[in-house]
Amino acid sequence: MTERLTVEFTPAEGAVIRVLGVVERRGYVLRGLSMKEKADTASLVIDVEPREASRRVPVLAQQLARLVDVRSVSLAARDAGSLA
Amino acid sequence: MSSAAQASPSPQPLPVSGARLVVEALEREGVKHVFGYPGGAIMPVYDALTGSSLQHILVRHEQAAALAADAYGRVTGRPGVCLATSGPGATNLVTGIANAFLDSVPMVAITGQVGSPLMGTDAFQEVDIFGITLPIVKHSFIIRNTADIPRIFAEAFRIASSGRPGPVLIDLPKDVGVLTANPEPFELPDEPAAPLDEASIALANALIAEAKAPVIYFGGGVAIARAERALRDLAQRMGVPSVSTLKGLGCIPSDEPNYLGMLGMHGARAANIAIDNCDLLICVGARFDDRATGKLDSFAARAKVIHIDGDAAEIGKLRVPEVGLAGDVSSILGRLTAVPKIADWAQQCRAQRKMWAPRYDAPGQGIYAPALLKELSEAAGDKAIFTCDVGQHQMWVAQHCQFSRPQAHLTSGGLGTMGYGVPAGMGAVLAEPDATVITVSGDGSFMMNVQELATLRRYRLPLKIVLIDNSQLGMVRQWQELFFEENFSEIDLSDNPDFSEVAHSFGIEAFTIDHRSQVGPAIQRLLRTSGPILLHVRIDPRENVWPLVPPNSSNVQMMEKGW
Ligand SMILES: Cc1ncc(C[n+]2csc(CCOP(=O)(O)OP(=O)(O)O)c2C)c(N)n1
Repeated sequence: MTERLTVEFTPAEGAVIRVLGVVERRGYVLRGLSMKEKADTASLVIDVEPREASRRVPVLAQQLARLVDVRSVSLAARDAGSLA
Repeated sequence: MSSAAQASPSPQPLPVSGARLVVEALEREGVKHVFGYPGGAIMPVYDALTGSSLQHILVRHEQAAALAADAYGRVTGRPGVCLATSGPGATNLVTGIANAFLDSVPMVAITGQVGSPLMGTDAFQEVDIFGITLPIVKHSFIIRNTADIPRIFAEAFRIASSGRPGPVLIDLPKDVGVLTANPEPFELPDEPAAPLDEASIALANALIAEAKAPVIYFGGGVAIARAERALRDLAQRMGVPSVSTLKGLGCIPSDEPNYLGMLGMHGARAANIAIDNCDLLICVGARFDDRATGKLDSFAARAKVIHIDGDAAEIGKLRVPEVGLAGDVSSILGRLTAVPKIADWAQQCRAQRKMWAPRYDAPGQGIYAPALLKELSEAAGDKAIFTCDVGQHQMWVAQHCQFSRPQAHLTSGGLGTMGYGVPAGMGAVLAEPDATVITVSGDGSFMMNVQELATLRRYRLPLKIVLIDNSQLGMVRQWQELFFEENFSEIDLSDNPDFSEVAHSFGIEAFTIDHRSQVGPAIQRLLRTSGPILLHVRIDPRENVWPLVPPNSSNVQMMEKGW
């Protein structure tokens, strides 16, 4: 099942690749992505799908949350609409 | 001095070069030793190093710089520092950085980079070390402005050692080190501690109170959180049997009566049996790693789980606990005050420990490595720090040496890096000069960083190396024997050099033994010698590490030795 994560972060050098790298390395396929930047904060909305059923998205959210540039991660069931 | 300058109330400080700012930042962080190797892009920093208070240790391969810094960080709890030039210097650090990452060790790795205008042009010795190391650092920086150097270094040291520690990489373009700046003062924001979850604490206490067969399963996260004391208090207060992972060894002293030993693939049978029979698993700073758990669904299958860790991302990663408690480990442990009624269970576990205690009466007159290591550990006592390489000898150290603190056992647990032992020994000697530092290596691993004998000699580092030589890649041979139908493929090292001669050629005292009667005197000589020394021990190439849980098996399906 695809799930949606919203990641608020400080847009420091490498921050976006770091976030996306964690998603892929921890066993998820990226299904959708959008980014917004405002002043000194940015947010990524990411749709992810685990490669195997035992992976739990709340654990991925914690793994993202411990990245130094990440300020918060929230998890929402994906709505039917596509990413803007 | 001109009169205008005299009249000025607060003269602007003179601008300082980036390289000087780097050195000053390291001094401000209290760094005493830097492990490194110079080259083009990092030359400005080497220029600024002369005349500083930092002692630079010139290794003979950058991998050793990173591995020595790793050990330094493990022993002191403060980031070890390594320094290399761009390109191959930086890529040579990678294994050591990954080693620190997988074992959560505080480290700051500084790499030179080509000048900013050249970055992204495939310039000479340009590699994207920032990109290469992204998956194996806790955080990383490319310094774009000279004036940012003091702040970025302060942040790097803070990040490397706070929370769950890890390596931080700082990539320094050459021009940033050459240009001058007058940095602004800065302050790092405080990091508020997360409040404890009272409901979860209450639930954990309730589970403990009703448990009939609880076990504490602890790992490297205890030492990371410097929570050894709190763990020992908890284990004593509750009288609960405990088992350790490879990285947890020493958090509870090996001679504690309720301590059952290391669990897992090469663990003690008593430890694995206790886990199999327990009804409550109190996991402290451990992470359900496959080497510890064996087949995960049969690991403590009937137990409820309380999982305590400094890192919230570990909780529920592989096993969903009944109670998860993330935060300051010592504070959490201090709040677990329930005492279960488990005298029979604890007695049963102690009896198992006694029944399955390792035997040292191996047949024959050859040297039995487990017996040698036990004798060495007893003779070296509490002041010893053991560093190891990877393979059978590493498991024998874990099984047969005694540790009363986690800093006494430096092992590459997560990455399993052959070549760790000697550089780690160098780092440990410098980090704790009063300790008796002993590196236990294998003949395969030793050759991976053999060049560091030159570093030992140069700085007269009193490292004691015990080289267990089975003229094989022993651990690989063991697996080929047991799980690949004795199809021995590329494990023969019978053309090894004469290791004593090798050490002598570096100017290091060395001697070889191959008979059991030589062990006692050899240990005495090793411990008596004040400078670096190598004891080369020839053992039977067919020796295996026992017990062993075969891959994909439950931890109670242990294979045992034949005698
Ligand atoms: C850098 C590296 N390469 C390969 C391995 C795989 N490996 C694990 S143990 C081992 C054999 C180690 O041989 P030796 O150092 O002689 O120790 P022994 O097992 O004989 O005690 C090998 C090749 C590794 N862990 N690290």
